Amino acid sequence: MNARNYSNELADSIQAREYLTEQWKNFEQVYIRKVMGISSIDLGYKLQMPIIGKVLRWQVEKMIHSDAKGRNPTRADGHFGQVIPLEDAKAILGNLAAEPIIENYCMCRWMQRGIKEACCINFGNLSGVIEKLPRFIPKNNVYKLDREEAIKRLEMHNRKGYVASVWFQPVPYINAICSCENPECGGMRLRNDFGLHTIYKAEYVVQIDAEACKGCALCVAKCQFGALRFIPSLKRVMVDAEKCWGCGVCRHMCRQDALKIVPREAVPAARGRF
Amino acid sequence: MGSPKVKVDYSKCGEKGKVDPRDCGKCLRVCDPAIFIMHEPVGVDQDYIDPQMWRITPVWLSLCTRCMKCVEVCPEKAITVD
Repeated sequence: MNARNYSNELADSIQAREYLTEQWKNFEQVYIRKVMGISSIDLGYKLQMPIIGKVLRWQVEKMIHSDAKGRNPTRADGHFGQVIPLEDAKAILGNLAAEPIIENYCMCRWMQRGIKEACCINFGNLSGVIEKLPRFIPKNNVYKLDREEAIKRLEMHNRKGYVASVWFQPVPYINAICSCENPECGGMRLRNDFGLHTIYKAEYVVQIDAEACKGCALCVAKCQFGALRFIPSLKRVMVDAEKCWGCGVCRHMCRQDALKIVPREAVPAARGRF
Repeated sequence: MGSPKVKVDYSKCGEKGKVDPRDCGKCLRVCDPAIFIMHEPVGVDQDYIDPQMWRITPVWLSLCTRCMKCVEVCPEKAITVD
């Protein structure tokens, strides 16, 4: 939660506007475009190839986390994110996010499913960039939000079951809070299916109060990561801390208040595994 | 072992075919592992602020389960899987 990472000064110093314009104009091409002769088409197979696969993985990780000068926006250099629980996302939107704040159509869901859903909250320099690209602007043309409205919208998405995530674009400049879905989210796709670190798990994991849980199992249906399961003999739900991303979305379903987020470091099975 | 080969015939769907994938998009939604990506064609000259030409490319081929639902759902019979 470093305020500088959200600031316009930082954005200007790394020419974020130019980077973001170039990136968002062509964002849907990111998997098709060839980078050093290799596109993402059939990435799963390419990553499995002996030697070439290892070099490719190393190269892609380097690209994702690049903070070098002259980053290439069309291949999304330096663009990665982290899942955050609703509380943290609210704190960002309430204080840290640079205005103007907008809500636009999710690009991932558009390219993966052809669905336009206004659920990505962007701020700072990115707002001005997206405003000029008609395909991301909601049909009703209501996209400018004040801090309170943004928090309200985010809470609505979170309750629906979408996972809040915060993004560098490019690192260390932060300008987006998405409400992601697995596997449509480009970051989660690359992380879950190919083990690339485009998105990190939250600083927390969910723990369940076994006494309080009544075994209604409503939370199980909300988990995007298969970390919750109902155990019939015990008539309660268990959390697999290794699979838990710490998004806290399951909590919205619990009427017993049995689900809590605790720091990841406090849980041995999840410690240090982001 | 290679991945399943999923192909889209662009003479039936996309910039040369009569179907605009933005209106149809049935394959995008029927696919459980979501292996298809809709995108503006690379290297095609058009308004890059508001592109109008789109095509669908099967990208995440290693995740394809050969369930054939996309082949069945495509109204133009543009998709083949082997």
